[in-house]
Amino acid sequence: MKGMGLIDRLVVIFTKLVSVVSTSLGLGAGETWPGEIALKLRPDIARELSKGLTDGTILVAGTNGKTTTSLMIKKILEGIGESVVHNATGANLLNGVVSSFIRHADWLGRVSADVGIFEIDENSLPVILRYITPKRVLLLNLFRDQLDRYGEVDVIVEKWERELSKLPKSTEVIVNSDDPGIANLGQSVKGKVTYFGVSDPSKYLKVKEHATDSTFCPRCGNRLTYEGVYYSHIGIWHCDKCKNARPTPSITSWPSSLPGVYNLYNTLAAVTVARSLDLPDGEIKQALHAFVPAFGRQEEIVASGKTIKLFLSKNPAGFNASLRTVLDMGAKDVLFVLNDRIPDGRDVSWIWDVDFETVPQKANVYVSGDRVYDLALRIKYAGVSKQKTEKRNEIVMIEPNVESAVKKAISRTPKENALYILATYSAMLDVRQILKGRKIL
Amino acid sequence: MKIKIAWLYPDLMSTYGDRGSVIVLERRCLWRGIDAEIVPVTLETSAATLLSSDLIFMGGAQDRQQKLAGNDFLRHKGPVVQKMVEKGTPALFVCAAYQFVGKYYKPYQGEPIHGAGIFDLYTVHPGDQEKRLIGNVAAEIVHPKDLAGTIIVGFENHGGRTHLGPKMKPLAKVIKGYGNNGADGWEGAVYKNAIGSYFHGPLLPKNPKIADWLLSKVVGPLTPLDDSLEEKANQAVR
Repeated sequence: MKGMGLIDRLVVIFTKLVSVVSTSLGLGAGETWPGEIALKLRPDIARELSKGLTDGTILVAGTNGKTTTSLMIKKILEGIGESVVHNATGANLLNGVVSSFIRHADWLGRVSADVGIFEIDENSLPVILRYITPKRVLLLNLFRDQLDRYGEVDVIVEKWERELSKLPKSTEVIVNSDDPGIANLGQSVKGKVTYFGVSDPSKYLKVKEHATDSTFCPRCGNRLTYEGVYYSHIGIWHCDKCKNARPTPSITSWPSSLPGVYNLYNTLAAVTVARSLDLPDGEIKQALHAFVPAFGRQEEIVASGKTIKLFLSKNPAGFNASLRTVLDMGAKDVLFVLNDRIPDGRDVSWIWDVDFETVPQKANVYVSGDRVYDLALRIKYAGVSKQKTEKRNEIVMIEPNVESAVKKAISRTPKENALYILATYSAMLDVRQILKGRKIL
Repeated sequence: MKIKIAWLYPDLMSTYGDRGSVIVLERRCLWRGIDAEIVPVTLETSAATLLSSDLIFMGGAQDRQQKLAGNDFLRHKGPVVQKMVEKGTPALFVCAAYQFVGKYYKPYQGEPIHGAGIFDLYTVHPGDQEKRLIGNVAAEIVHPKDLAGTIIVGFENHGGRTHLGPKMKPLAKVIKGYGNNGADGWEGAVYKNAIGSYFHGPLLPKNPKIADWLLSKVVGPLTPLDDSLEEKANQAVR
């Protein structure tokens, strides 16, 4: 424990106390508001709190894969006996980070941990970098996500670049070489840059998906050429005009036990961070071998004797990746749930950028959520093929109420099949509560 | 016959699920037994390809992409589109495209940016301290007359405020949300058989009457389709 002043410690004790009292009264501990209060009292408190970490801070930013990847890194570091401060899923703004420190602190207001691993909202990364100088920054990807809230991808890249260029030489930046939108960011940092990427032509997409953002050269604006695309705009890219090209990754493969190419990226990212901390591959393998995904990320739940597989799918790139994964897994019964609350994004137009056309005609499709009719309409217009015998996709069930939708979908799913549920953020929480709360039993 | 639907800059100007509007145009033809084809028109596409199409769609864009598309549009595709619109080719311009076909766009800093001048309208960005106009929207169509009274819905997300010149007719009267500029109560614009709108969501799936109006300008009267699901999705936003 070094450097933390008395006032900061008192603020930590105070907010911790408020949080505990509130929890015991059943008002909820709050993943964000203890930090919010602390920040109101001491705007610089994140800087002081992070000084208590003997081995520094690792920040994980990107549109998709933050939760899974940061949990993998946590698991690896805990495997070698490190004590870790980690923010709760979704609490990925500055107030969530501070809240996690408060939760971890002792009653003397001291944080004694080795390392902080924080998943960071893409818009909050520049803000957080003003308070915390991390040891490692991991940049996973940037996809179009909630344009009404986050703004445009290009604007985020510019903000990232500005703050990343201010980081000291001691901060190592780990970047996805296969995302042309962010791969160039490595050139603007002072410290070491390490890349991870996939080199496996057998994983190339046969047809390019629609939801793409960065198919133009970030340097000269020319259209990029892809040797192969893994998903969305992620792939082996180069620019014919200015010769800008995918940087050479330091790692391209790792045995991944989780399905989906996006999980291979998450795994490679976590392994790269671990290797950068000089961890031996044996330790990394052992920790990841038993890795269980975060809730709602390919989580398996058994209810009414049937297997349900939950996939959080919150933006076009993530949704397309989930869809491809479940179809590869042979899904025959699929429930889609679309909400339009603040955490989901109020604008649901992105569902038209999801390739529902890939859902086979014979699959049983169920839809639900706040915007159930938007979803039903999207699937209706997905049709099948462009043949003359054009037929509309039949949706087995359109049920606005999530609870009855989940119940009905489970009862209609044949015993030998699994029910796959793809849901937006708040919808996924609802579904999970319905399943875990045993309301259906 | 085969309807050719030109989709301008599908790789550059397709931000808010714009693909949905194009899919709707295509499917509503196919379901009626009318052959239809989506023709992507982008930087490398020739003017002749554009000229041979029957219907035009152009959507929203992010800044960087908009610049790439903008240079090409002003120089090459814009004059062709103007000729087609003047001749009565049905067209739909949404979000950035709607601003683009106007006379100019005045950013909050710097000189006004030229538009293609196809529509008699201009757009002003009031400054970065002014709020963006964001949210679910509903409006009642006033033009074209044969659609008057139809309730259209969508989602808007724009910083620029658009003002119509005397040659334009407003598309709709805002019921919920902001519309063109958040001040005069109008949303969108109509000129000949061309429509401009800030409503995405995308526009056509929940507002199939606009889709059919555009298509009817190419093939004449259309047989009705079962739009009960479209109607439910439309109702949900009101």
